[in-house]
Formats: sequence, C-alpha cells, structure tokens
Amino acid sequence: MTASNRSRFLAQGNVYLPHIMVIEKIIDETPGVRTFHFNFKDEKLRDEFSFESGQFGEYSVFGVGEATFCISSSPTRRDHLEFTLQRVGKVTNALHRLGVGAEIGFRGPYGNSFPLDLLQGKNLVFVGGGIGLAPLRSLIWNVLDNRDKYNDIHIIYGARSPADLCFKYDLDAWGNNETVNMVTTVDRGDESWKGREGFVPQVLEQVAPSAENAIAIVCGPPIMIRFTFPVLEKLGFRPEQMVTTLEKRMKCGIGKCGRCNIGNIYVCRDGPVFTYAQIKSFISSEY
Amino acid sequence: MNSNNKIQQKLRHEAGALLEQNKVDLIIGFEPGSLKFTTTPLITRDKGDLDRLVINPFIVNNLAVFLPDIKGPDLKGPKLKGRVAIVAKGCDGRSIVSLIQDNKVRRDNLVILGIPCPGMIELRKVEKLTGKDRDELDDIIREGDKVVITVDGKASEFPISDVLFDNCLGCEFPTPQDYDILLGEPTAPFAERSAGQARILKGISPQERWEFWRREFRRCIRCYACRNICPSCFCQRCFVEESEPQWLMPVPRWQENLMFQAIRTIHLAGRCSDCGECERSCPVNIPLRSLTREMYDLVDELFHFKAGMAKDAPPLMTHYEQEEAKDLIR
Amino acid sequence: MNHKKINKKDLGNLLHQWSKDYTIFVPSNEGDTAQMGLWDGSDTGFLDWYRNTAKPPKANFLPPVEEMFRFQKGKEGHSIKLPSQEHQQLIFGIRPCDGRSLAILDNIFTDAYQDPYYLPRREGAVLVGLGCLKPYDTCFCTSLGISPGESNDVDLMLTDTGDEFLIEEISDKGKQLMELTAGLEDATEDDTARASEAKGKAHDKVTRKIDTQHLSHKLLSTFEDETYWEKVAAKCIACGICTFLCPTCHCFDISDEMVKKEGARFRCWDSCAFPLYTKMPMENPREEKWQRVRQKVCHKFEFYPMAFDVIACTGCGRCIRLCPVNWDICQTLGQLPG
Repeated sequence: MTASNRSRFLAQGNVYLPHIMVIEKIIDETPGVRTFHFNFKDEKLRDEFSFESGQFGEYSVFGVGEATFCISSSPTRRDHLEFTLQRVGKVTNALHRLGVGAEIGFRGPYGNSFPLDLLQGKNLVFVGGGIGLAPLRSLIWNVLDNRDKYNDIHIIYGARSPADLCFKYDLDAWGNNETVNMVTTVDRGDESWKGREGFVPQVLEQVAPSAENAIAIVCGPPIMIRFTFPVLEKLGFRPEQMVTTLEKRMKCGIGKCGRCNIGNIYVCRDGPVFTYAQIKSFISSEY
Repeated sequence: MNSNNKIQQKLRHEAGALLEQNKVDLIIGFEPGSLKFTTTPLITRDKGDLDRLVINPFIVNNLAVFLPDIKGPDLKGPKLKGRVAIVAKGCDGRSIVSLIQDNKVRRDNLVILGIPCPGMIELRKVEKLTGKDRDELDDIIREGDKVVITVDGKASEFPISDVLFDNCLGCEFPTPQDYDILLGEPTAPFAERSAGQARILKGISPQERWEFWRREFRRCIRCYACRNICPSCFCQRCFVEESEPQWLMPVPRWQENLMFQAIRTIHLAGRCSDCGECERSCPVNIPLRSLTREMYDLVDELFHFKAGMAKDAPPLMTHYEQEEAKDLIR
Repeated sequence: MNHKKINKKDLGNLLHQWSKDYTIFVPSNEGDTAQMGLWDGSDTGFLDWYRNTAKPPKANFLPPVEEMFRFQKGKEGHSIKLPSQEHQQLIFGIRPCDGRSLAILDNIFTDAYQDPYYLPRREGAVLVGLGCLKPYDTCFCTSLGISPGESNDVDLMLTDTGDEFLIEEISDKGKQLMELTAGLEDATEDDTARASEAKGKAHDKVTRKIDTQHLSHKLLSTFEDETYWEKVAAKCIACGICTFLCPTCHCFDISDEMVKKEGARFRCWDSCAFPLYTKMPMENPREEKWQRVRQKVCHKFEFYPMAFDVIACTGCGRCIRLCPVNWDICQTLGQLPG
C-alpha cells in the first residue's frame, strides 16, 4: 500500500535482480512445510528494507528458479525475515534441501498489504487454514505488538490433522495470551488430540464471533475460503468486512509477465489482499 | 471440381443422417475458412451447420487431433463428448487407427467418413511457383493431374505434382485403411512416389546435418504448434513441461529446440502417419518432416511396421517380439 | 512541414550512413520466415517482397529468450553479473501496425516498475516506418484507429512514391536523425501529394473490419457464457502461434539454468494458451482450453483497455495468417452475442 518506502528501496536499479539472503534458521512446521528465517547478506540493507503484512516476495534458489511466497514474519519484528513454504514443486523442493547458512535470492516486497487503517479500533476475526496462516501470522503479530490499537481478537485456525498444524509455537503463544480468543481445530484428530474437531467454516459458525464493528481476515486453501465467506455472511459480516489474500501462479511479481490476472485485476499488482466486496466485483470468477 | 462436389453432397447427406438417427453426437469435418484457399475444422452437433461441410484440395488438417479431447458418451468431461463422425483422408485415417491402438479413442464411438485423397495443395508451393502471396491469387483449380492458377486475371497451368504437399507425393495409402463409409472410389498412390524434401539430409555428413539443424532450430520459437497439431502427440503432459525432473530448459535456444524435436520424433515412432501437419503448421518453416519421415522409414526398415494399419495390433513401442532382439540388442 | 525524399536506389547508402551510429535491422528472410534481422550492409532486395514480417518487431525488444543475468557460486557465496548493454538499433521498414504495437507494449513495461531490459532497448532504438501499401487480406488495422500508410508511433515515416521514398519526420528523435543525415533532397509538393494519394489508397485496401464500438459490453455480457466459449475454442489446438507472434503479447516466463557453479536466469516468451501458464500445485484457474481462449480475447479487447484505454490489438492479422486451423479473431468478435 504505502508505495513510497518501497519504491525508494526498489529504485536501486534492475528490479529483477535478487538480493542475496542468508538462511539463519529452519523450523519444521509439518512434514511438508518449513519456515525459514533469513536475512540480507548485505547488512546495510537490513535497516533499509521495509515491508508490510500481506506483502510477498520472489524467492530463488540460484540455478533452480524463483517462486512466490508471502513474508510470514511481522514488520514489527525486525531482526530477521521469515517465509513459510510447502514442498510442492521444483523450487520448493530445492529450498527444502537447503540448510542454515545457505544463500537464496529474494526480491520484493511486492503487492499491497492488509489494510491496517481499516483494522484499527475494530474487533478482528482471523480465520486461517493450513499453511494459509503464514500471511495471517504476519498480521497477527503485527496487531499483537500494537495491541492497544485494536479491540477483541478471535483467531480460528484449523488444519487437516494435528500433524498439519503450522506455527504450533505461535498457536501456544496466542492461546496463552489473555487478550486473544484462540480456537484451534483439526478436520480429524488422533488419539492424543484433545482439542476441537471440525472444518474451519463449521467451527467459525459455532464460535460465531459478532460482526459488530468487526473485520474478518481469512486465508487458507481456496476451498476453505469459498466455504468461509457464506458463513461470515450468515454471521452478519458484510463483504466490505471480509478481507482475504489470493494466491496465483506468478513469475515477475510486478504486473508484467501476465499470468496472475483475474479479469482485469493482476493479483501481484492490485493484490494479493482484497476485500470480498472487491472479489465479488471482479469480472471473472477465476479466483 | 465435379467429383469433389459429389463427395461433398454425399458427405453432407451421410453426416445429416448420422445426427438425425442419433448414431453420433458430433460431426468433425471441414468448412470453408475465412481466407481464400483455406478450410477450417468444423466441430458441431448442429444439423444446421452441415451444409457448410466441404471437400476440396485444401482440407489439410488431420482432424484426428481432436479425438483424444473428446470424451466418450460414458465419460464425464467437457461438453465436447459423445460418439463422433469424423472426416478422414488416408493419413488421417491411419492416425485414427493409431489412436485406437493406444486406447485414446474407442472404435465403437467412431464413425469414420473416409475420403480417398488425391493429395492436398500446399499454398507455400503455389506462392513460390507464382511469386505471389496467397491473398494475391485469383484462383487455384485442380483438374486431375493439372492445376490451373490464376493471377491478375491470367491463368497458368502446372502439373499437380508441383503444388501438392511433399507428404502427399510420398503417400503410400491415400485411401483410409479403416472406415465406416467411404465417400468416393478408392484411389491409388502417385505413380512416382517421392518423399520430397524430407530426404534432403540423406547422404550428408553428420557435421553438415548438425550445422543444418543448428541453423533451422535457431528460428524455432517453441510455440508447440508441431506438437499440438499432431494427433499422435496425445500426452496429457508433454515431457517438455515436466519440471521434476526437468528434461529440458523451457527456453527457445536452438539446442533445446532441437532436443525437443528429436525426443518428440522418437515418441512418434510407430505412431506418425506422415500426415505432414507438423511441418505445415510451423510458423517459422522448419522442415520437420525431415525428422519425422526419417523415423517413419526407420520404423519400417527395422520393424516392418507402418503406423495405423491395424487397429487390433498393439502399439509398436509397447510390444516386443523375441526375434527383434538379435538386431537391436548386441 | 519540410519533408525530404530519397531515390530507392540510394537506400543502401542511407542505411550505410545510419549504420555508423546504429545497428541496422531490416526485413530479412531467414528460412522463408521474415523478421527484422541484422542488415548485411548492402542488400535492399527486401523492398521487392516485404509486406510484413512473420516474427513481429517486438522480438527486437522482448526477444524470445534473453539472459537476465548470470550468477556464480564462489567461496564468498553468490555473485551476480548483468549482461552488457546492447548497441542502439535502427529498425528500418516497420509498419504502422507494428509501430503502434510497441506503444502498447510500452504501457506494460513502464507501468509501476520500469523494465530494465525492454526499456533501454526501446529508448535507444530508432524506428523508421514504411507505409504499408499492400496490406494482406488478414489486415484490419483501420478498425483499430491505424492507417496502413501513416504512423505517429515511429520516428521517421517513409512512403513509396514510385521511384522514391518520401521521408517525414515524426518525432524529435527522427528530426535529430534527419539533421545528421546527408544526401537527402527536399521533397516537392508534388511528392507529398503522391504520397498522400498512396496512403489513401492503402487505407481503402483494408477491407476486413471489426466493430469495436460495443465490443466491451458484448465481451462482458458473454464472459460467463461457457457454451459460447467452448464452441469458439473447439477447433483451437492451444499452440502458441497467435500469442508468440502477436506484436502486443508480452507474457514471459522466468527460469534458471546452472552448470557446475555457474548459471543464468532467463526470460522467454510464454503464452496464455498453455495450461502450464497458470498452473499451481493444487489447482489451475484456466485448466480448460475455452478458458484460455477467453482469456486471450478478453485480455486484448477488454482487460487491457480497462487499464490503458486502448485495445491491445493492432489488426496486423498475424494470428489469422499463421493459425494452422484458421481460428479467426475477427469471426469470434463478430459472432459475439449481445
């Protein structure tokens, strides 16, 4: 959203040139999902760089290629950056093979961000599924680090099974935070699972957070998003009160390579964060 | 031409009857194109469209390419599904048989409307012959072994062999091998068959060949028209699109372009009916038949196998016979 | 305005003069395929056969494949090296439709982020237009506000007046080039009149038309009509010809190569006709062919105009001329319901 600091950072020459980053820490979230803590190799850039929750970058393994992920850490925590990815293809497999100290390429931040102005003073309902918690998590920490600017906070997060829950350390922290209403659910539990069972949209309906002065921020697999919007509508949320972030195949990240469009909207340039009201106004239902 | 008119009439009649009697759901044939001397595939379930069906010396496409996309009546899928009546020249017919062999289409879902093919006119040859572009020509009329081309009101006569596609000149089986209805009388191959340009690489040194292909494939833009127009390239996902492992870089450099085409050609062993569509479609005029025809002849030589001749035979490359070993494994 | 002229026989000399400051590209035939290729320093025989190139001039600015940068893995980690800048190019003989196409591409490559490969080439290039007096039967540029004999998108514009070319200065860059060019004659009023006549005739030769007036509305109202698009797309073989050879299509892919410790990142043309273009691990928003055909048509005639207020089609007709199944964009647009 605020383009000025971003453009200053990006104005330094060739926009396709990646910065060299160093992996500082690797966390196994689930069997196929890892979080990487990374930092600019050039220490000068660490201070110059800024981003906002919801923005994404193009990450590369040199010689293998680039892939698109959001920045999953919060801009309020500056000592390193994080991104989280599932092993699904060539680049993600190569990333998963890297160890601490390895170098990767990074360019960004790209895209818009979650509308903090709109969220301030509101009750926030975070609805996340699986690895979809990654962009939400950046925002949640952002909000919690400025807790007094926001009202009630609900977090409803689910995954297929207990083993598929990402960011368990965050889930614990939020669960222990008295100012947060945290609900974790799994589609199907196992013997040791003592928590809730059920799909995220169903659990959301049971928890039934009030739509009054509230904004819902939703991110998860497309199927979850599609089922969550109607539930929110049932709970009284208007499309303007629902925010999500969309995922599309991207290459350039800057509105030139073509593929991430939904009608006349380019997810990389105009998004990835949209309100449901905006999505409903899209020409195409290819989201 | 008269015989074409008769065949065309019969085709429209038969196609109409097939739709009317609910014997097929879909007709695949040709209709006049939007440009002079072109036709375009007509894929329709509407009887009202059938009076646009044409047969002329420009029905170049191998319509078998559409068959693997069409789901049988028992399969869920896109709207393009059902039993199909398809217009097929000799080479198209062999492609259809080849698809049946590969289980890409079921014979009992098909009604093959066979066309004995006297050869198709290659516009590039006409353009070269006259020094004019297609849109500057007034008329091209085939009269038996002759073709009359009119430019600026002036008609000139040429032997038909001057303007037919090379693969037509070299065609062994102009009449479809398998059909339900044959429109017209079976026709014989050309008396003086020749593989034309396809053999230009015979007898030249490997270095010269390498140089030749390097030059040719520098032009390739990897539009994949050669692959997508080819009925035998029916893979759901082409090897060239695999990323793990990535067999080839997706960039159009001549090395990768040549490698793509070489592998494609190998995949066509025993499937290619030498319809010539790859070469015709190439927007940068790479003589692709020089590869595919070479493979066609090799297959014949090594395995005594010609693609698309027997629908009940197994596909060449999935089938192994003991006696093949002595030649191939040394 | 003060126009110049040059005898056709002297064109070689003129190009030679320009070649001191520019790398000259002219219509050239490589394996029967016309493109804007390096001038060999003498031949102007293209004047006899040239109508338009098959490969559009966008290839001179957004090449089918280019190395974005090289990288190396050493003891100190990765280092990146940019390719050296290319020579300034002068493209001789560009047609008005293709001149417009570059203006359309400029929008993309300057929007939000400046493209560091396309733009320097574009800024360094001189476009010498050549009026198109013999348009193809596939051309429909006049429906898109282009006249085959005229262009404001080039730097200099030439018109064939018989034995000579009339030379008009269009841009400042063109004016500067003319000031440095020796050996040109001043054109007479008679020359200018002959050129105008030729331009008018050329305009009338473009008989193929599309109606752009209600196009946007029709495309919007037909957008969700799956049956229509399925029918339209049925015979398309989903190859990349119409997009790769479209002078305004700009989509690209980015990929890496590494041999031992050295490698490069490439960008190359990509096409919305290919299913892989939008494929994600779990789903593909444009898996079906009809969705991809719809995207191609709507991008040019609906989405792009929404962003930049101009249709992303110049009516050059390449997609029609080169299509192996005669899929004709004009028919598709003409048959849109509504």
